[in-house]
Amino acid sequence: MNDDLFFEQLGELCDQLGERAPAPSTLKSRVFTALVRRQQQQGPLKTLSACRKAGETLCIFEQLVAIAPVGEPVKAKNPCEVCHARLLGERVDDAPIWWAGCPYVQFQNR
Amino acid sequence: MRGLQSSAEQVEQAGGGLTADAVLAGDAELARGVLGRDRKAAAEFVDRFSGPVYSYLSSRFAPRVELAEDAMQEVFMVAWERLGSWSGTVPLQAWLMGIARHKVQDHYRARLREPQCWEDLEEEPRDSGMAGLEVVLDQQRSAARAMALIGELPEASRLVLRWRYWDRLSTREIAAQTGRTEKAVERLLARAREQFRSRWLVGDGGQ
Repeated sequence: MNDDLFFEQLGELCDQLGERAPAPSTLKSRVFTALVRRQQQQGPLKTLSACRKAGETLCIFEQLVAIAPVGEPVKAKNPCEVCHARLLGERVDDAPIWWAGCPYVQFQNR
Repeated sequence: MRGLQSSAEQVEQAGGGLTADAVLAGDAELARGVLGRDRKAAAEFVDRFSGPVYSYLSSRFAPRVELAEDAMQEVFMVAWERLGSWSGTVPLQAWLMGIARHKVQDHYRARLREPQCWEDLEEEPRDSGMAGLEVVLDQQRSAARAMALIGELPEASRLVLRWRYWDRLSTREIAAQTGRTEKAVERLLARAREQFRSRWLVGDGGQ
């Protein structure tokens, strides 16, 4: 066995057996926020009313916005921008948030 | 280069037992949701694929966690920009991993183009003598130890080792990417292997 073969086997072994680092929940949260902001720059988001009609699970805050007497353009904004769950999710791993339907809760590794 | 698989293999691997058609159908539905700017679909997209993407990136950028995190954000931004051109014939996970591999290559290329990586190399590359220790590869803890040792090497050494042996680029390909000769790449690899060997033997009690 020469050096090349040894190191190729080592590389394969590390990829197969090496410890798999889970993505930190704070990172997933930041990626999601950035992704939605980018989507929003390029056009309106799917409205909360449409999400509701499609049977998607909305968090309590989204449900309130969805039934509020406001125009559809408001319902096509990202309500997470003004939610404390986003702030906690982006900054704290295992953040103390538990609402059903909240994407930042979905990202917690627990 | 390692990592190239047939579409069928990629589908099976990504699906965790689901049939190829089921995986692709699920992926297509998710892609439609993301392209429709549905935040719930975007959350599912990030949640479903961030694990394998981050695992790969962190293994290639270790110990630079911040580079892996920046790269992951870039992978998902590129994915969003290009999702409309996703063929639908390979699983989204494999498609995303392709983007991640390009990000890693871009980084390796940029770093290894810097002149200081190539200073003080020996004229004639030599074997490190690691080949006589192949028996240790039978042990799972060797993988963890090797990954830790690679992370301790100087940046140029760990990048060239990973590029050559983890991602299986040939010395010719690395030479082309970095604008150096194959001989220079061999010298850089020889130094990296020797650095690895000396650290490995220290842990083995100098045997």
